[in-house]
Amino acid sequence: MNFYEHTLITKQDLSTPELENIEKKYKDIITKTAGKVIKIEKWGLLSFAKKIKAYGKGFYIHYKFEAESITLEEIKRNSIIDNSLIRHLTVKYKKLDTDTEYFKEKDINEKKK
Amino acid sequence: MKRKNNKFNKRSPNPLNKLSLFQKSDSRFPKKCPLSGKDAPIIDYKNVKLLKRYVSDTDKIMPSRITSVSQNKQRKLTSEIKKAKILGLI
Repeated sequence: MNFYEHTLITKQDLSTPELENIEKKYKDIITKTAGKVIKIEKWGLLSFAKKIKAYGKGFYIHYKFEAESITLEEIKRNSIIDNSLIRHLTVKYKKLDTDTEYFKEKDINEKKK
Repeated sequence: MKRKNNKFNKRSPNPLNKLSLFQKSDSRFPKKCPLSGKDAPIIDYKNVKLLKRYVSDTDKIMPSRITSVSQNKQRKLTSEIKKAKILGLI
């Protein structure tokens, strides 16, 4: 078992139930193949630095999980077929830090203080 | 350790003492690596704020002789910048 991080970029013209479906789909894939989801982060709608396949923006979904190599193949196979995804990236880690969130939106109350 | 200390102390008192204009001055101060040592920032592809500092205007990776990043950390930086470019963050 190893630790991995996986990020998906979906198209920007999706409704909220569709986004939740995608998030649930990949969560199920991990759990079905004997993996363990540690954390899911939604970074929200971000604009790209450069255009990717004629798209300017996209929704980011970020997974942190523990799994074998079978799940990685399964995720990769599914995300290549998937039409609503633009890009995906998996990174292997020896240790996961779940505390720091780089894309967290700041609360309004914190700004005032 | 002794040799390293000598390097820091070796400073000519006056730069005008040089024989010629193109002679290398001994007073060049060795700059420390900003990404190593205690409480250094984490190099990660999600930490876009940090990575943007080491990328030029035309999205090229800056050479370590300008930024004075150590060899080990520069190797790590390049791999993380390339990951961030795949996701369209930089």
